[in-house]
Amino acid sequence: MKDPYEVLGVERSATADAIQKAYRRLAKKLHPDLNPGNKEAEERFKEVSAAYDLLSDADKRARYDRGEIDASGAEKPRQHFYRDFASEAPAGHAYENYSGFADFADSDDILSELLRRRANVRVRARGSDVHYELPIEFLEAVTGAVKRLTLPEGGTLDVTIPAGIQNGQVLRLRGKGRPGLGEGEPGDALVEITIKPHHFFTRDGNDIHIDLPITLSEAVLGGRVNVPTPTGPVTVTVPKGSNTGTVLRLRGKGVMRRDGGHGDELVKLKVMLPERPDPELEAFVAGWQGGKPYDPRRDAQP
Amino acid sequence: MMINKREFLVRAQLEDKTLEAWIHEEWLAPAESVGEMTFSDADVARVQLIRDLKNDLGVNDEGVGVILNLVDQVHGLRRVLTELLKSVHDRA
Repeated sequence: MKDPYEVLGVERSATADAIQKAYRRLAKKLHPDLNPGNKEAEERFKEVSAAYDLLSDADKRARYDRGEIDASGAEKPRQHFYRDFASEAPAGHAYENYSGFADFADSDDILSELLRRRANVRVRARGSDVHYELPIEFLEAVTGAVKRLTLPEGGTLDVTIPAGIQNGQVLRLRGKGRPGLGEGEPGDALVEITIKPHHFFTRDGNDIHIDLPITLSEAVLGGRVNVPTPTGPVTVTVPKGSNTGTVLRLRGKGVMRRDGGHGDELVKLKVMLPERPDPELEAFVAGWQGGKPYDPRRDAQP
Repeated sequence: MMINKREFLVRAQLEDKTLEAWIHEEWLAPAESVGEMTFSDADVARVQLIRDLKNDLGVNDEGVGVILNLVDQVHGLRRVLTELLKSVHDRA
């Protein structure tokens, strides 16, 4: 780390005013945006800025003079300058300006051709993309749908939602954005889809999950129950001895995958006691010797 | 990456009024989409450049406009020079 006084080329006794003057003289020469092609300027500018940061702060300068902090104490990291973006399409191009040498083109074929091409590019600019947000129902995302979007400037846009769309996915409707300039093509409409939650289905990728309440007798004895799926209810056999947490897999009842197949619906059973206390059940359980030794919390001991 | 006005003001640490004034001065020229201004990383970096000029380099408001105009011309020149060199190489 260089001595900041040396970097700025001032005496240790220099006044604040002299330090500012020295800094500005160097910064005007070295600021990277005033030297877009000069890599070395950036390194030196950072050095000069760091030195000025330290010496322009009376408190830091005094601490540095007393040896309490070193010259790196005030270095401020600065990653980007405007020049890093100025050459990036299309953002930087918006500010570019050719007026300073357009007159060269009169006397030079190659340059006039280049400038003509650039000028054409401008006149034929593609229209900008327009962003919309479209909330859809859970089941519309699963089965697909056509939704009509009302545009802020009036007019409507029909959006075809493909079956199996994911939350946050963006649909690109070609040519439905802003009109282009001259012969330029119009931009695209970018529609971001948000899927509203469903009151009993949830979704994990292409699988659908549902918690299904069953009665005690269905759990103990087994039975056939109706299970809702996105395409309508199906009858499912609950095996004898099913428990809360048992998961039944309905193959192909999930969300359509990109390859045309389907995910599964996973049905998690939840055993429900009768809504009201039942004397017969109480009497049975009280006398039920076989259930006594079972400890479902044996694995949950501290 | 394009960001909206609110995000831009936060990232560039800029007051709404200042932004309006700078757009009026044509120091900044944000893009437009759906009737709203949108901003790029280049715009954020340009704000920092304007700030460097005004605060660190002691350039006054008239000077900032002159410098930005010249910087924009330099970038235009650099691009055409790049393309010129490329076309010279392509022909060679």
